[in-house]
Amino acid sequence: MGGMQRTLNTLKKAILQNWKQILLSGVSLACFVAGWWLYSAWLHGDWPFEGRERVDFAEYVPYPWVVLQVFIDSFQHVDGSGLYMGEHVVASLKRIFIGFMLALAVAVPAGLLMGRSKAAQAIGSPIVELLRPIPPLAWVPIFLVVLKFFWGPILIVFLGIFFPILLNVRLGARSVDPVLIDAARTLGARRSQIFFKVVLPYTIPYLMTGIKVGLGIGWMCIVAAEMLGAVGGGVGYYIFLTAGMSQYTTMYAGMVTIGLLSVITTGVAGLFERRLNRWMGMK
Amino acid sequence: MDKKILIAVAVAAVVVVAAVAAAVILSEGEKVKSGTVYYITLPPKDMRAALSTGQIDAYIAWEPFVSDSIVGEVGEILKWSDEIIPNHPCCIVAVRNEFANGPDGSQLTLRFIKAHIEATKWMKDALGDTGSAEYTLLVNMAVQFTQRNDSVVKAAFEHIEYGYDMNTNFRSALEQFTDMYIETNMTTNASLAARGYSSVEDFVGKYVNGSYLDDADSVSPNSTILNPDAPIRLGFLLGDLHQMAQVVAQNKTVTGTGTSLFETYGVKVVNATGAPFANGGAEMNGFAAGAVDMGYLGAPPAILNHLNAGIGTSIVAQANSEGSGIIVKAGSGITSLDGLVNKTVATPGESSIQFLLLKIALQREGFELKIKT
Repeated sequence: MGGMQRTLNTLKKAILQNWKQILLSGVSLACFVAGWWLYSAWLHGDWPFEGRERVDFAEYVPYPWVVLQVFIDSFQHVDGSGLYMGEHVVASLKRIFIGFMLALAVAVPAGLLMGRSKAAQAIGSPIVELLRPIPPLAWVPIFLVVLKFFWGPILIVFLGIFFPILLNVRLGARSVDPVLIDAARTLGARRSQIFFKVVLPYTIPYLMTGIKVGLGIGWMCIVAAEMLGAVGGGVGYYIFLTAGMSQYTTMYAGMVTIGLLSVITTGVAGLFERRLNRWMGMK
Repeated sequence: MDKKILIAVAVAAVVVVAAVAAAVILSEGEKVKSGTVYYITLPPKDMRAALSTGQIDAYIAWEPFVSDSIVGEVGEILKWSDEIIPNHPCCIVAVRNEFANGPDGSQLTLRFIKAHIEATKWMKDALGDTGSAEYTLLVNMAVQFTQRNDSVVKAAFEHIEYGYDMNTNFRSALEQFTDMYIETNMTTNASLAARGYSSVEDFVGKYVNGSYLDDADSVSPNSTILNPDAPIRLGFLLGDLHQMAQVVAQNKTVTGTGTSLFETYGVKVVNATGAPFANGGAEMNGFAAGAVDMGYLGAPPAILNHLNAGIGTSIVAQANSEGSGIIVKAGSGITSLDGLVNKTVATPGESSIQFLLLKIALQREGFELKIKT
């Protein structure tokens, strides 16, 4: 009970401290929804555009509240594949989580190495620059056959998350102030101590930026990752399935789900970053 | 008295034994098989590779992707689609209503359908005589269109029934498909009502427009092209052997006069922007965007996209029936649908006719089709 009270107090304090930002965010979101509603009404020839002829493709832009209704309904009724939205969300979260952990495990050491070693930079850079611009969609048929149905979709997500983390960590490792390294060396720090006590902490804010950008791109890749051979469905699969049948309102519900999931995962990363900064004494 | 009691007991015993035996026999007879078959979605072009690497145990696809595995000895046929539903419809010819109702639209559609009929007849004749020059020409065209070798194409031709007629069987099959889509939430009765249809029968009755086929007899060859500056923009699917009629109708060597069948009937046809399309859903979006005037595609995507998004199209002819099959891995020992229980079958997607055929075949045997999780 005490814990709950503390959390509520913290939340109240945060709201009072940031009420201007919260208000602006709310107004921005409301403007977006209002713009969507007006465009939809304009296409449908509804109020305040009564008398205007309904456009043929009006159904491609349904009203926000219709999408909201279908979004809620998708958790209560199965779709054409016999799955609930909740099951799709779990399937996608699993892929994002495994892809993210893999990307973290590979990109952080690779970025640190490339940032601090000229040889590693010379070896890694051509491969990174060559592979980075290739859209994950292009890999789908290859990954599906070579890496099979479990790892194939995960690796598509991995690609989306990997490069932002790698590039940010590399930038962080390169940007370490030489004065700090000299000071540590003067105080008698060994190479490993300089790495773990100076370079690595200095890179953390860059890593967190990479994680937040990477998670967003990871969610962008989910449709490509799940459009084929996705075992157990997924929100991307849901979008692909409903788009193929012109169930556009349902498709929008899938898009809203991905947006919300991205906001939640990036928000969690932001919270973790704040905790980490506090723990490291940076804020 | 004792004797009577003994007889009564004996009769009762016989009756009881007979009743038990009858119950056992009857329950055996009524025993419903149960089991689940799992599916995933894959494009047909990737199914052979997935089967050979053991990622899937079976797949259902259209030709030439069925014969591709058989000829390549990667797979064996488990069931041809005509064994599931004889003469089931597959690909159709659709027209954009706005185009058909526009200037010269009706006449252009009629001429197009006439060329489609003649192309289909030519194909049927060619396939009826495998030693003829026409058969060789057809195979060569199909090899080029599908990018498969002639052995695959020849094997595939044996299982496709080309035709243009839209008889009562065709219409009742479309009704059955629509009912199944409503059952599985892929479309709804509300969508049906929103498009102005009172029932599934009413929808099929109106969406299938047989008037062009009825009037086609009145069309004669015409050396004047009716639409020299506004060609019909044709949609079709990538390498789909079911849609060979449009390849034949566009070919300039078929008639022996140096003009294509479309030109013979005074109509200019060009491939639409985006054609060949990857799937029927993409082609229907082409119709919706006004980029496709007439097109060949599967009946299910035409139905679903028309009902769900109100894309203004009509079915004006059939392109083929049958021509799909369930393939299992060569040497797998699977010889009946029972063998697919707890196995993974790839399908081209929930909105495809192949998915419906698989579902129908499994339902008849008492099996359930569920997405692999």
